Amino acid sequence: MNWLKKQISKELWSPYVAGILLGIVGLLTVVLAHQLLGASGGFENIAAYIGKAISPSNTYFNYIMPAGITYPVILLVGIFFGGMLGALSSGTFKFRTMDDEQWKTAYGKQLWKRWLLLFIGGIIVEFAAGIAGGCTSGLAISGGMLLAPAAFLFIAGMFASGIITALIVYGKKF
Amino acid sequence: MNIWTIVLALILGVLFGFALNKAGLTRYTKIVNQFRLTDFTVLKFMMTALVVTALGLYPLRALGLITFPAVPETYILGNILGGLIFGVGMALAGFCPGTAVAGAGEGKWDYIVPGLLGFLTGGVIFGLTYTSFMPQIKKIANLGAVVIPDLWHVNPILAVIVFALIALALFYAIDRLGLHRKQK
Repeated sequence: MNWLKKQISKELWSPYVAGILLGIVGLLTVVLAHQLLGASGGFENIAAYIGKAISPSNTYFNYIMPAGITYPVILLVGIFFGGMLGALSSGTFKFRTMDDEQWKTAYGKQLWKRWLLLFIGGIIVEFAAGIAGGCTSGLAISGGMLLAPAAFLFIAGMFASGIITALIVYGKKF
Repeated sequence: MNIWTIVLALILGVLFGFALNKAGLTRYTKIVNQFRLTDFTVLKFMMTALVVTALGLYPLRALGLITFPAVPETYILGNILGGLIFGVGMALAGFCPGTAVAGAGEGKWDYIVPGLLGFLTGGVIFGLTYTSFMPQIKKIANLGAVVIPDLWHVNPILAVIVFALIALALFYAIDRLGLHRKQK
């Protein structure tokens, strides 16, 4: 029991152990809920409230990704509390900004710069997930576990451009 | 949605977020160092999960106990193009929608405010521009909602076993053959 407590309260697990947990979650998601994992889709369901206010007759937000508190939105709420539970279990929960040392060496210490980059990064990622048909969760993991070709095409593209982007950002320090 | 579905979604979401937190993927450093090829946590975590789930799902499908829900559609150009754009944002910001939400739960204001606002903005822009380009992209090399074993007419169980062996070979190459680069 003490051993288990100690393992759970560790800040970081082996990626293989955490991956097995995610694998079990993926399996249960299909078997119990007949759903897939996902994250970007939930954001689209919320974005639809704004999108429909801007353009009431918009096809996408009326017929393809309508506004609503859907399964993916509830899942997002769960993910939020899961992150919180993980941080609480290791005593690392804290309201904070600029908590990453390597970020500072890559981009500097200015908070406005971090917030601007995260905002732009968020736009790029969500827009791209729309084009691809899902994000790392809804396409790479959910599609990958079903062995859908879409997932592996997406992962290949993501790694290719991710490596090039990191190379540009880090330059000689890559 | 009935109450049972909502509770189930919450529990599965919590476990998902918990796994992301414990793997350390809610950190900029972990994500960007995967793309610098100095830390393979992302790939190990993902591939392990895929193998575990596939090993469970395919035998259950073969026994006729389950069907696959909403298999993601393969439209080759769009899947690759989306991945290419996605990788730029992910390497720049060091997050993706799932890891940012879990990181927001850890108390990171940087994810709670600009991160979540960025995703919402991206979602709005995508929806408003959808009809101007997506139907065309989806038509190019569209194979439909298909999985590799059905597409290539190979035995599904065999395909899963081969997939698991590929993952093991990859892990071996990373951990034992030094596939990863040294951190500078």
